[in-house]
Amino acid sequence: MLALIAAHGVLAVLAPWLFARLGPRVFLVMALAPAAATAWAASSARDVVAGRPVEQATAWVPGLGLTLDLRLDALGLLMVTLVGGVGTLVLVYCAWYFPGDRQGLGRFAGVLTGFTGAMLGLVLADDLILLYVFWELTSVTSYLLIGHDDEDPESRRAAQQALLVTAFGGLTMLAGFVLLSQAAGTSSLSALLADPPSGGMVPAGLVLVLVGAFTKSAQVPFHPWLPSAMAAPTPVSAYLHAAAMVKAGVYLVARLAPAFAVVPLWRPVVLTVGLATMLVGGWRALRQTDLKRLLAFGTVSQLGFLMVLFGAGTAEAALAGAALLLAHGLFKAALFLSVGVVDHATGTRDMRELSGVGRQLPLVGLAAGSAALSMAGVPLLFGFVSKEAAYEAFLHGSTSDAIVFAGLVAGSVMTAAYSARFVWGAFATKNHLVRNEVHAPSPGLVLPVVLLAGAGLLLGVLPSLADPLVQAYAASYPGPSPEHLALWHGPTAALGWSLVTLALAALLFRSRSAVGRAQRRATRVLSRVDADRSFARVLDAVEVLARRTTAVAQSGSLPVYLGTVLATLVVLPGLALLLTSRVSADLTPWDRPLQPVVGVLIAVAAVAAARARRRFTAVLHLGAVGYGIAVLFVLHGAPDLALTQFLVETLALVIFVFVLRRLPATFVRRPARTSQAVRVGIALAVGAFVTGAVLVSGQARTAAPASQAYLDRSLDEAGGSNVVNVVLVDFRGFDTLGEITVLAVAAMGIASLVLAGRGRGSKVAAGETALTAAGGQATDEPGTSAPEAVR
Amino acid sequence: MRPVDSGAAPRLPGADEIDPVRRSVVLETVVRLVFHTVLVFSLYLLFAGHNSPGGGFVGGLVAGCAFVLRYVAAGRGALREAVPVDPGVPLGLGLVLATATGLAGLVAGGQFLESGKVSLDLPVLGVVKATSALPFDTGVFLVVLGLVLGLLRSLGAEAER
Amino acid sequence: MTGNLTLALLMGLLYGVGTYLLLQRTLTRVVVGLGLLAHGANLLLLQAGGPPGVAPFVGPEGAGVVVTSFGEGTADPLPQAMVLTAIVISFGVTAFLLALAFRSWVLTGDDEVRDDVEDARVARERPQEQAHTDPEAEL
Repeated sequence: MLALIAAHGVLAVLAPWLFARLGPRVFLVMALAPAAATAWAASSARDVVAGRPVEQATAWVPGLGLTLDLRLDALGLLMVTLVGGVGTLVLVYCAWYFPGDRQGLGRFAGVLTGFTGAMLGLVLADDLILLYVFWELTSVTSYLLIGHDDEDPESRRAAQQALLVTAFGGLTMLAGFVLLSQAAGTSSLSALLADPPSGGMVPAGLVLVLVGAFTKSAQVPFHPWLPSAMAAPTPVSAYLHAAAMVKAGVYLVARLAPAFAVVPLWRPVVLTVGLATMLVGGWRALRQTDLKRLLAFGTVSQLGFLMVLFGAGTAEAALAGAALLLAHGLFKAALFLSVGVVDHATGTRDMRELSGVGRQLPLVGLAAGSAALSMAGVPLLFGFVSKEAAYEAFLHGSTSDAIVFAGLVAGSVMTAAYSARFVWGAFATKNHLVRNEVHAPSPGLVLPVVLLAGAGLLLGVLPSLADPLVQAYAASYPGPSPEHLALWHGPTAALGWSLVTLALAALLFRSRSAVGRAQRRATRVLSRVDADRSFARVLDAVEVLARRTTAVAQSGSLPVYLGTVLATLVVLPGLALLLTSRVSADLTPWDRPLQPVVGVLIAVAAVAAARARRRFTAVLHLGAVGYGIAVLFVLHGAPDLALTQFLVETLALVIFVFVLRRLPATFVRRPARTSQAVRVGIALAVGAFVTGAVLVSGQARTAAPASQAYLDRSLDEAGGSNVVNVVLVDFRGFDTLGEITVLAVAAMGIASLVLAGRGRGSKVAAGETALTAAGGQATDEPGTSAPEAVR
Repeated sequence: MRPVDSGAAPRLPGADEIDPVRRSVVLETVVRLVFHTVLVFSLYLLFAGHNSPGGGFVGGLVAGCAFVLRYVAAGRGALREAVPVDPGVPLGLGLVLATATGLAGLVAGGQFLESGKVSLDLPVLGVVKATSALPFDTGVFLVVLGLVLGLLRSLGAEAER
Repeated sequence: MTGNLTLALLMGLLYGVGTYLLLQRTLTRVVVGLGLLAHGANLLLLQAGGPPGVAPFVGPEGAGVVVTSFGEGTADPLPQAMVLTAIVISFGVTAFLLALAFRSWVLTGDDEVRDDVEDARVARERPQEQAHTDPEAEL
């Protein structure tokens, strides 16, 4: 399984290179990967349906307990068939859809193949964290695919919206996964489902996970990203935004429902959101003129339908859901691809400009028509079988079931109506319109449409072909196994409701202009709660908030930053020090009589350094402090330190003088008294804090010094008497190695800072005056940092 | 080194680049006398550092001071005469030497930076002990020297122009 | 263990004055402040190792008095090694900051640290209202 997913990745990486050699036929090579996945799934089908899932575990990050656990069970098989099968056909379709000279097509092919791999990983993952990784991979690839036309601002906006919404949901879901795996003590999906945890964290975690599922599957109120995503090329819409990616949320609900539908919060949340989505999507689809947007809202509606079926948590509903999942993948992909063909052949996909296409493209028209009939739930097609099962599942239950059932019927009426609207809009001959010029599409474009629609027809006539698979999934629910899928169950109530649905839909379609007027009036009232506008407002608010925060937190002033850091240091650890620590009376005024004398000298020099008006004076005082410190080192018994300190101080003075030659002699006085007072205040507080911390920590030692071992081993093991030196070059030699590396880096930094803009002079040996350029002053003006400027 | 000019007092090579009015005969003479002594002393500090005060850091700083004296006394021309190589050379050599010492410990079958020592009985010098700390410390010495030379070149000589 | 009051006060003073200078806008004063802070920190490290004592030399070849154990009043060698490292590193940092000051002089003629221009612009600017178009149309 891992190899199959990896194969997608490899092909994706190779895609741009292959495209340079093969042109658009590269998609045929890409199609091999999902085709292999489908073939493999088909070969494993017998075992899986018999209840023996295929499993594979590979170590990933053993230290964190992360494994690449993959598992193919009935639901996984269903999804792999859908993802792999539709993926293969869409990739084949792509080979004829895009003109060969299109910019960035190699990248596009790579991303699309990468997406297929990520989607396969998502449905096969048996570990929450792994699932999350694949989940986000699909979000990212979807972003890249929607934004494929990166010169179109609308497409960029749509891509960004999709990414923001799904990534927000993904992160929320991750939090939910963490809660769930904490409650269960494992992140393994199958273990989690086999032994569902309980407790307060579980409902919270589930709600978070559901938010992730709702965003991905475009449920109300997160749905607007899906219609916007129609800016993507049509094959992408057919695949990601109809058959595969948007099913991820539904898949997750389907995956969790067998174990978690009994949690009290689950059913109200999922059923409400799902029904609302089904109705809103259907309502909006009824008034679209762009064929792709019509289908997009239809997809939103159907995703809501699927949510309801899987969220109900009964075996019957799950059976219907699994069937609908398959049916929807088949008919929606076919419809999208047929829009692509129409668009390709006529140059438009606006139903106000299309007329007479069906007569000129009879095969496409027939295939798309049969797919639309399947969507509408007309007998002899698979959509009918699944909807019949859905009606059946909710027909004989409690009051809440009845409410859901009413919603489903209303949604299905709208579904059938917009299906009719789609066929009429795309293929009908409209008398008031000029017939379109149509040029014949190549067979490579038509074949996938026909195959997908044909599969819907085949399964509609012989639903028993799909029955074992959906039964196997439904078996994961508690309770008796539901009735088998069939075309004819006899004169049942569900059949009656199906006929009522179709009749109402026909009425709705006939009165479409009246419906349009009603919708326009309603829209004026409803525009205030429009989800797309709300999304824009939220984005704007976030941006305003970010700017205000930045303006406050990022003032750009170095003293403010440092002051904040230091004030925090004083306030937090300082308060802790004040509240919790006591200094015992066991203090000595000094250890050596000379210490206070030197100390006073240092103190005087330090204060003088701060008060100095002239740069040179300040630096000299700093030097005095340094020499005083060297004396303190001697008093402490550290001759090496004293020697080093003395030399460093001398050299530092020299370097200071080098730089001070250039700078003004005195400091500029700034009159801001308040800020000066704040500085003094922070300085006093820091000084007091350090004094207190030194006294407290000096008395807090509990362990023996580590140095005794150094003293013992220095002579024998390292052959040196000077323990400090031995520590430096031997016991802690690594530190020293690091330190001299830092010194080397500092030296290079200094050289580049000073020598930048000095042309070839920076490359020659010390002092070698290769540069005969004019006096330094002139070349040191701003803007001459480029080497050329010197010459 | 370039021949010294015809003045009576020994002068520092390269010093003739600065304005004759600003030259100090006394300073140049003293520096010329002390320079080598300081360098030798820095080497002493390096070699003695394992057993008495000193070591690579101190030695490198002292050696750097010797060149500072030369520069302060006679300007960048004198510095150029005294240091014919780019400061990057001692810097890089030092890093390479220190790292190589560490790797030698690895090659000898021990840990990175593991120390070893040998005792040699040489004819004239008597028993000489050598430890792997010495090349390591020499690396430190070279890096510190390179840093000081780099500072002299950039902030000193180059910034002059 | 006892505390040394003189050194504690001295460290407080060095930190205080160093902080005051660090909060200034002139890079030279910042460098001086950083130097004072480094001195204070070195003292702190050394002090954390315990009271003063005889220089830590062992064995027959050491210079001066030879001691082998803390009980006999040797100063702790470990903090000394750390401080030695710290001294040299702060030298490198000082030199680097001076090079920065020099660069600042080359570019602007002084060594004042100015407020970030870009940040000031962000703080001033109002976000622009973006027009979101509704792609929907009526039939």
